[in-house]
Amino acid sequence: MAALPAEAGAGSVAASKITIRGLSIDYVSEDGRARHRALEDLSLEVRENEFLSVVGPSGCGKSTLIAAIAGFLRPRSGSLLLDGKPIGGPGADRGVVFQEYALLPWRTVLDNVTLGLRLRGMPRSERDRIGRQFLEMINLVEAADKYPHQLSGGMKQRVAVARTLANQPEVMLMDEPFAAVDAQSRMTLQEELVRIWSQSRLTVLFVTHSVEEAVFLGDRVAVLTPGPGRLKAMIDIDIPRRQRRWAELGNNLLFATLRQRVLDLVRGAGTPP
Amino acid sequence: MRKNSGALGTVPFVALGLAWLLIPMLTKIPPYALPTPGEVIGRLYSGVVDGSLPKDVLASLRRLLLGFCIGNGLAIPLGIAIALNRRVSDLLRPLLTFLASIGGIAWVPLAVVWLGVGSGAVLFVIANQIFFGSIYNTVTGVETIPRVLRRAVLSNGARGTQMLWELIVPGALAQIIVGLRTSMAYGWRALVAAEMIAGTNGIGFRMMEAVKWYQTDTIVLGMIVIGVLWLVLDALLFSRLERATVVRWGLLRETA
Repeated sequence: MAALPAEAGAGSVAASKITIRGLSIDYVSEDGRARHRALEDLSLEVRENEFLSVVGPSGCGKSTLIAAIAGFLRPRSGSLLLDGKPIGGPGADRGVVFQEYALLPWRTVLDNVTLGLRLRGMPRSERDRIGRQFLEMINLVEAADKYPHQLSGGMKQRVAVARTLANQPEVMLMDEPFAAVDAQSRMTLQEELVRIWSQSRLTVLFVTHSVEEAVFLGDRVAVLTPGPGRLKAMIDIDIPRRQRRWAELGNNLLFATLRQRVLDLVRGAGTPP
Repeated sequence: MRKNSGALGTVPFVALGLAWLLIPMLTKIPPYALPTPGEVIGRLYSGVVDGSLPKDVLASLRRLLLGFCIGNGLAIPLGIAIALNRRVSDLLRPLLTFLASIGGIAWVPLAVVWLGVGSGAVLFVIANQIFFGSIYNTVTGVETIPRVLRRAVLSNGARGTQMLWELIVPGALAQIIVGLRTSMAYGWRALVAAEMIAGTNGIGFRMMEAVKWYQTDTIVLGMIVIGVLWLVLDALLFSRLERATVVRWGLLRETA
């Protein structure tokens, strides 16, 4: 397996935050009719404070993996651990950012950001103060009193990220969050995510079908096989955070090499290292 | 958003009024079959002056409001329970389908036997009608809340009844309002009909009483009052409720 100690960061081996062993899951469609094996015997570790990208061809069970860790789906077999403890149903310790934004249409932007704090019973003045700090982080303070339908797709997703971070989860699970956003906003959002993540160093599991995005964002990139998904390869991305801007990476040789390597793996031409 | 200025909507009413004025002059319809606008206005005036008209209107409206509260007070919680719980749904759906086919008015004979002629029987009939006009809207509203919203609220830490107030009720509200609106329209029609058959006062009762004396001006006045009251109720209650909630949230585009 590729899970050799990586030389990334300070050189020490970080603890495992999420441990996935022998995970198999059957996917059931929303109407309950379609059913197929989405993940088969997948083993994977997400380290404490790392940004792990998961990439694979469509139908490889990437989103199913997120849904299982979030507690929306029950595994058929295998184990899922967060800090060494088994994962049960959904909970605030695992924040999720969805492709569809999933903002509550009946709440203002500020009240969406403070959703988790409100559910915990935090008084309004305190949670609004915290909410505004997170709106400042995503440069959307002026939108505090708007409703989600008044925002662009890119703005909605920034609000969704702020909502997840404001609730201070143990891990942030991101399910193709920028797939529905236009290309221009997507690049801005990716750069913003690099900046925000560098400040918080939260453990992130980021699922995408874009190889470029996976390499741009991740400390490591996990490549899954076509469905049912298993781990095909794990690639370390040793590009310093401060270099992760599209203007700079355009002619960065290491970025180009890693992108090509992951692309070959996804398309089936490459061999696992 | 489309704003309805209201001006265009008054044109058919003006045309209808003109036709009403002209038809008796141009045809040989006997006066007792179609009263003139003047006679109806005269009846309106005398009804207001002697207090009988406001009394009937209030009696009907009070009954409608009570039936509306009882019907929806049962339909909305039960609709939510059916949508959320498979067992409740399996248990009650066949019975509800059976009962829904028996329209409100079909209950009048039994209601009269049980509760006697008067307010009780009329109230039973319209509460029944309103319940069935509302419940399926609530069920649909809850069932069509996107799964991703449910997941988002759960992942933010919601438990038990928090799901109800954070997600279920606001998420289904657009459809619940449709249910409130249609059920009140159903209830309003059932009310007038029930008062005609089993009432002892109210607008419907007054219209049926007028038949005995060939007072067609009272009958036509009753019809106009029914329509005008509904226009006012709809504009005052439901259009406002929609603008304050689902239109503001972008869940419904303003049409009226």
